[in-house]
Amino acid sequence: MRRNQSVNDLAVIAARIRRHVLEICRQRGGYAAQGVALADIAAVLYFDELRPDADGWFKDRFVLSNGHDAIMVYGALAETGHYGMDVLKTYNADGTSVDQSPIEGQLGFEITAGSLGQGPSQSAGLAWSLRRQGLDERVYCLFSDGELQEGNVWEAAMFAGHQKLDNLCFIIDNNDMQASGQVADVLAVEPVPEKFEAFGFKSRRINGTGITELLDAFEEARATKGRPYAMICDTRLWAGINCLQKALPMAHYTARTAVDWDEGLTEIGATLMELEAKRRE
Amino acid sequence: MLLTGERQFDSAPFDSISYDLCTRRGDVVVMSADLSKYCQVVRVKKELPEQHLDVGMAEQNLLAVAAGVAKGGLVPVATCFACYITRRAYDQLLICMGTGSGAGTNVETGGLTNIAIGFTPGITNPARIHHQAAEDLGMVRAIPNATVIDPVDPTDFRAALDIAVDLPGLTYIRGHRGNTPLILDPDKFTFELGKTYTLKAGKGIGIIASGHGTQWALETSELLSERGVDHSLLHVPTIKPVNEKEVSDFAFAHDQIVTIENHQIVTGLGSLVAEIVSDTGGGPRITRIGLANRWAPGGTLAYIRAQLGLDAEVLASRLAGLAS
Ligand SMILES: Cc1ncc(C[n+]2csc(CCOP(=O)(O)OP(=O)(O)O)c2C)c(N)n1
Ligand SMILES: [Mg+2]
Repeated sequence: MRRNQSVNDLAVIAARIRRHVLEICRQRGGYAAQGVALADIAAVLYFDELRPDADGWFKDRFVLSNGHDAIMVYGALAETGHYGMDVLKTYNADGTSVDQSPIEGQLGFEITAGSLGQGPSQSAGLAWSLRRQGLDERVYCLFSDGELQEGNVWEAAMFAGHQKLDNLCFIIDNNDMQASGQVADVLAVEPVPEKFEAFGFKSRRINGTGITELLDAFEEARATKGRPYAMICDTRLWAGINCLQKALPMAHYTARTAVDWDEGLTEIGATLMELEAKRRE
Repeated sequence: MLLTGERQFDSAPFDSISYDLCTRRGDVVVMSADLSKYCQVVRVKKELPEQHLDVGMAEQNLLAVAAGVAKGGLVPVATCFACYITRRAYDQLLICMGTGSGAGTNVETGGLTNIAIGFTPGITNPARIHHQAAEDLGMVRAIPNATVIDPVDPTDFRAALDIAVDLPGLTYIRGHRGNTPLILDPDKFTFELGKTYTLKAGKGIGIIASGHGTQWALETSELLSERGVDHSLLHVPTIKPVNEKEVSDFAFAHDQIVTIENHQIVTGLGSLVAEIVSDTGGGPRITRIGLANRWAPGGTLAYIRAQLGLDAEVLASRLAGLAS
């Protein structure tokens, strides 16, 4: 743990991020399933792992590779206060500055992510560049199991392993879901941890939705010297919002009319109340 | 601005260009994809290893890692054969290196410097088709806000790279390797981004060329002069942002235009000149010379040029025919 957040506080933040995700996506649809599934990772990243800098941003670098997972970042940056919900609610509207898959330079986004599979190499180059300059910033890159089917990802893994980039941490959203169904059916990517190990990483499979386990894995990533780290998150196990869970495995994109957003918001509201009650105890 | 006397050659232009640049600029990282020797990155690799990064034979990785190196605050100069930079890794060139600056992005002005140098462009690689890149200029000049330079010799190649390390956004430069003729006189030639250079001033036929095409045009020009065929020659190293006014003024000052390029005659320099002239309308006829909808053979450059009718003799006869 880097910033002394309690597990319960982070769980509250994750629940609030889920609520932001649903409120954003209920406007015109969006990548809601990914947003809620990745909320714990977002809470731990933005509220514990990334070290703040003096300018109200973060010293460590987060590279989002899987462009449509921007919804996770939006949920988190609503919670940090970097984006207002009024702006975020223009997600998916004509003329919005809040892209569903963002372009390099937008607040919170290091790369143009949407042509999938290009984040791992860029984050590895970034990590190499920072290390060359003797800087101690760490680099985190989130990408998906669908992206594991792109060759460029494995070029990046080979490079990061060869260069022993221990300032680099890959976070893989291993949700067994891609555009046309289950990854296991379309083109199997398992065994993922073993593949990264073979490329010179230390790797660990976690469920990706448990705060304690996430904190522990990030700790282990930082303690790992001489090789990069791959955190394989089986986020498909997350089942907190029934209306989205029901849509699996075809939950890649959630149209505005596809689910009952009120039902989801009620569920998340109840979770939040429970967590906040626990916090008061 | 042209050197006179017996033709001199530089046997390894990029070796000294890259070494001198790295010595001057500690923030430059010259990158290779297992082709350092074949792009003549020798001294930097040996003497300045901190400023050299080889990513292995993985060109998508080359350009995406380069973009990451830039995001960390250094200046990447990714080197490879033109065919792999453009064809194999076009998306990484455009998306990773090219979308960090310019109108329509989130960084309208300024932005990170990303440089790629494509060696053995056009037909200048002996291995036919797969190692050649006769469509790279068209591909790269279609990228918004990119800078694209096709130098004729080591002098403007060196100057272009020296300028590129301070330019925002993506710069693509066509490289020269191996015995490269020294054409421009470094004491009388100053490279400016977007400037065109009249290498011969005359009337009648106006030849417009870039890169290796300018070398071929100069050889042709000599033969035309011997035969008393009046003509001019304009060297256009900056393909993008091209100097539309200078190209247009040159074109409209002549009876007809001939473009000579080391590229397909579609999407490259010939197309560019036609676009500029047609924007004004009522301009001279334009004959585009280069590769006309065919694959080039392999072999020595002299052989390839002869097969394609791009050797000086055939070019001179074609142009003389156009003039009469
Ligand atoms: C290079 C590239 N190819 C194809 C697509 C189209 N596409 C968008 S999302 C997607 C599936 C990606 O799988 P994953 O990221 O695992 O999806 P998720 O788990 O978020 O549903 C595809 C094929 C793309 N954006 N980029
Ligand atoms: Mg997936």
